[in-house]
Amino acid sequence: MAMHTKERPVPNGVVLEMTGDLTYANREQFKTAVETIRQKGCRHLILNMAEVRFVDSSGLGLLALVSQNFKLSQGKVSMLKPQSYVREIMSLANIQKLIPVYDNEQDALAGQQRAA
Amino acid sequence: MPSLSVKHTAHAAPRTVLVVDDEPTARMALAARLKRLGYRVIEAGDGKAGLEALRRERPDLTILDWMMPEMDGPSFCEQVRQDPELLSSQILMMTSQDQPEQIAEGLARGADDFLSKAASKYEITARVQAGMRTATLIRRLEDVTDQIRRKQEVLEQELQSAARYVESLIPASGIVVPGVQMVQAYRPSLALGGDLFNIVRWSDDFLGLYLLDASGHGVSPALRSASFATFLRRDSLLHHVGSNDPGAILTEANKQFPLTDNGHYFTIVFASLDLRRHTLSYATAGHNGALLHRRSGETCWMAKPNLPLGFDNSTTYVAEELPVALDDRLYLLSDGLYEVPDPTGELWGQVRLDETIRRFGDRPLAEVVSGTIAEAIRWQGHEQFPDDVALMGLEIAV
Repeated sequence: MAMHTKERPVPNGVVLEMTGDLTYANREQFKTAVETIRQKGCRHLILNMAEVRFVDSSGLGLLALVSQNFKLSQGKVSMLKPQSYVREIMSLANIQKLIPVYDNEQDALAGQQRAA
Repeated sequence: MPSLSVKHTAHAAPRTVLVVDDEPTARMALAARLKRLGYRVIEAGDGKAGLEALRRERPDLTILDWMMPEMDGPSFCEQVRQDPELLSSQILMMTSQDQPEQIAEGLARGADDFLSKAASKYEITARVQAGMRTATLIRRLEDVTDQIRRKQEVLEQELQSAARYVESLIPASGIVVPGVQMVQAYRPSLALGGDLFNIVRWSDDFLGLYLLDASGHGVSPALRSASFATFLRRDSLLHHVGSNDPGAILTEANKQFPLTDNGHYFTIVFASLDLRRHTLSYATAGHNGALLHRRSGETCWMAKPNLPLGFDNSTTYVAEELPVALDDRLYLLSDGLYEVPDPTGELWGQVRLDETIRRFGDRPLAEVVSGTIAEAIRWQGHEQFPDDVALMGLEIAV
């Protein structure tokens, strides 16, 4: 399934609304969307995964890459509401150690404030 | 000699037109006209002879009479469109009555364009040139398709040779050290996934065992796996890590193999089998493919959630230790073995794999390994796995 992304500014960050599959086939689109946000100087990227049905091994690698790139520019990445199957894939690879997972936007934003 | 000849500077040989008409006078008149325009002309007196000429000469364009004995124009077209060798031929159909319904029928049965028998010299030239333009485009498309197919074949050959190279790095089944038997099965997928496993022989009573998976598909993960396997050789580990502890080995590998620019990485399970102390210690990085099947019949998955290699260079991987006993069996396997969908899309899964291995009980190890692969094939309903499949089983007999 193709991926669609839409960015939405929030206080001290950007929420990227994602729809579709985070997979090898959609890697360029995801990378471009995220890099655009990072180059605008965003310090906190919140990936809204509520409408993402599937993440494959390439998708996991991209999430790690995005997290590393944001760290290099003094930023951070959080994740919002992954579906249960996606959550399971993430936890097998312990991704939440790199990218904290939140169930609502307020908590995600508060997480950033605590970290600051 | 004619002065109206068309110059074909792009083509050394003149373009060829086949004229199929049972009336000799009309046929010869049209042939003469086309020759004056600079085309090479082949003539045929009926549909059958026309088909033979089409097959033999492959003209750029065929001009076809509608009414002919034996095989008429539309039947000729139908034959051509059913023949995979001929179906892209350009056919211009001649007719004396240009009734719209007749034209529609001719087009429906396979003609590309029409030419009235009463057409002017100018119109004949224009229609023939239009047909030639289409013929040129079709030829070009066919040439490009051919080139792509040939390149695809080369790529597939490269994948196969990469698969053979990876296979050459994999240990053969047999007695590894006295008291340890190993049986393996390796089925690289057509797309080649970069799964690799091997044994590091520290001494006769201390073995390192690993199974790794490079993310991505194609030649590149196969090469990255091969490079990782080089790092995991005994001498290299002594030099780079200076320890046979699985945790220390993965912690160092995590630094040596960062994420690639495209976000590619390795997952791995690394185990050390100490035959003197009868212990098994293991560490995993994003991999959950090690199963211990105890002599008592119970099984346990050796996995705990851990980042894959390259995700965070500050990660410390810590080994867990388990006791092992005589006749225990250890299986290292890739996720490609159990992530196989049945025709409805349901995955075989770790639970069914676990049950399958337990069901085999104490049957010989070789039977368990081949029977488990056969069970996964039965589940998916065909032989070709979507991802690489690797399974390495070890039996401890000391």
